[in-house]
Amino acid sequence: MSELYTDILKNNFKGVAMSKEELSRVDEKLTLETDESRRDFLDKFSKGIFGGLIASGVVNALAPVQAKAKMDGSNLNFSEPFKPFDLPPETPGEDGILRMMRDIQRALKKPIEQRHWKMVIDLRKCVGCDACSVSCAAENKLPPGVIYRPVIQQEIGSYPNVGHVTLPRPCMHCDEPPCVPVCPAEATWKRPDGIVIVDYDQCIGCRYCLNACPYDARTFDFGMEYIDGAADAPKVFLGKEKAGKYETEASYEYEKEWKREGEESPIGNARKCHFCIPRIEKGMLPECVVTCIGRATYFGDGNDPQSLVSELIALPNAFRLKEEVGTHPSVYYIK
Amino acid sequence: MTREKMGNILVWILIIGFGAWGLPGMLDRFANGHVNTAYGSYIPWGLWISAYIWLIGLSAGALMISVMTYVFNIEAVKKVGKMAFLVAIATLVGAMMSVGLDLGHPLRAFSLILDPNLHSMMGWMAVLYSAYFVTLCVELYFAIKKEQARGEKQKSIKKILVVLGIWSIPLAFAFHGGVGGVFANVIAKPYWHGPMLPVVFLAGAFLSGGALFATVAYIWRPNQSKEEFLKMMIFLGKTTLALLILDEILELSEVYVGTFYSAYGEGHLWQQILFGQYWYTFWIVHILIGVLIPLFLLTAKSKSPGAIALAGLLIAGSFLAVRLNIVIPGMLDPEIKGIADAWVHSKLTFSYLPSIMEWQVLLFIVAVVMAVFMIGKKVLPIYQTAGDE
Repeated sequence: MSELYTDILKNNFKGVAMSKEELSRVDEKLTLETDESRRDFLDKFSKGIFGGLIASGVVNALAPVQAKAKMDGSNLNFSEPFKPFDLPPETPGEDGILRMMRDIQRALKKPIEQRHWKMVIDLRKCVGCDACSVSCAAENKLPPGVIYRPVIQQEIGSYPNVGHVTLPRPCMHCDEPPCVPVCPAEATWKRPDGIVIVDYDQCIGCRYCLNACPYDARTFDFGMEYIDGAADAPKVFLGKEKAGKYETEASYEYEKEWKREGEESPIGNARKCHFCIPRIEKGMLPECVVTCIGRATYFGDGNDPQSLVSELIALPNAFRLKEEVGTHPSVYYIK
Repeated sequence: MTREKMGNILVWILIIGFGAWGLPGMLDRFANGHVNTAYGSYIPWGLWISAYIWLIGLSAGALMISVMTYVFNIEAVKKVGKMAFLVAIATLVGAMMSVGLDLGHPLRAFSLILDPNLHSMMGWMAVLYSAYFVTLCVELYFAIKKEQARGEKQKSIKKILVVLGIWSIPLAFAFHGGVGGVFANVIAKPYWHGPMLPVVFLAGAFLSGGALFATVAYIWRPNQSKEEFLKMMIFLGKTTLALLILDEILELSEVYVGTFYSAYGEGHLWQQILFGQYWYTFWIVHILIGVLIPLFLLTAKSKSPGAIALAGLLIAGSFLAVRLNIVIPGMLDPEIKGIADAWVHSKLTFSYLPSIMEWQVLLFIVAVVMAVFMIGKKVLPIYQTAGDE
């Protein structure tokens, strides 16, 4: 089994698609596989891996397995207990994704307050393809006008001495988040593992947190839909209903099912990146990490000195955005 | 036709006109939520938040008139205390409507009254406005009761009113200085951030509310002699003039500090306000209509009550432009350069001009404010001045 994973990973991480023969071999092995837990893992795992190679819209069609635990705010460790799954043995030169998955497994075995999720983005490797933005939007079924991780592109310098910079901007999950104390309804707070979350059922939609964030990392769900104003001619073409299937799909943010209907939450709420809590609670990496074609985004436990992110954060060329405002972000950049 | 009757007719025409014009906007707000508003995620607050601080300022200013009546016993305004409470209540209702309609989930906001986050300036607002609303209603109740009572009972009610009036002074400073604090505490917005804003908010509130009251007292004059009326109008005119000068000194200070070394800090935002696309809101609506013409009217030798009332109306009405120029420019700077081009959508931009629907909702709110005042004036014994106020 572990060979199989290594095969898949190696082929994917070379950045090339597998040949038909290889795919059929994998398929055959998968069919033979009977272990339910491993099959379950592979389902989730393959979703992340193939998502980087194919359109992110398809990623969501691959039936994500996400927990539907109740979020009531009082129970911070609301996920079901983590069930570790097998990973291939560590090999020299293996892809960072595997190492980060081991990091996550190790972290999830610790109590929640002993881990601190951190992200590192290597700007030298980012090509500005927007795969992370699109896959994030697909994973969380983001409506128009809501974005968790835009990729900012800037030209710097003046002709002829010009350069091009790309800067993915997730939520910084600050250790001193300015968005938290301003909330009049206590609808947003920092979990012990460092993730800043929003309780959609508590949020009154005042948008104070949007103004308070020094990174513009929060957006408001205005209740818009992609099919707004679309032509509707059922017998001529697919029509609004089919095209709008995306709009009615539930998202599973914060391990709860959210359907955007009427004026129900998350419509009328502040929304933001949550480091893909439903995925990491199951031992998977955030969507933006697995879909990054340049392997420019890293994720793991900053409290674990053995983790890949801890190594990267220690680099002399690692930095954080707007250090001067004293927010102490959990997202680091490497330049 | 008396001035009061003419005022009644004119205001009811305005109520019906604004209400009818604003109704489609209200229906749009309830049917489509925030979809047809012009604000977005990068400029999250727009006309309705500006209108909220405008209206709550008018309320705080009117409250100060009542304090002059009941705490400081100022002779000139002794017969308009109850009317000041009514103006304060009507504008408070409008302010709450304006901020309520701006919320994504307005009904959830009621939970804030009992369970606010006191680390949040906005959480404090829920507590303070509730306290303010209760205070105003209790004060109005006792102000009316005082007129109906006689002898010892009247004296004891008078004492209650003094205590309530004294209590409402720090309350007014807290809730309106606090609104300034909602903005001033946002470190991410340098244009708002700083200790000056709460003071500017207070000065503006007392100016605009006092000015509005000069107009109201002129149209619906209480039962008083011509001399008393003239004395009252001159007092209100002088108060408005003093507050106008104070407010302009504060504004001048802000403009001077903001623009002197314009290469730094918020200089470019002041450039936008003074010479940008919407320059006319500052120069025409605020400076010409809200400052220069009232200054001319208030300093005229004739001391005509009509001129004072007109000056009050111009100041109070145009003060919305002042509030807009506080709220909107603060959000014009992207936190990270280039973010608006990273994920393109109409709700992810850094420009803002209120949509027609937003204006319609505001007109409806203004109609409601006027209706609350007119109905309150009719239902409550505001004009009975048999006892001594």
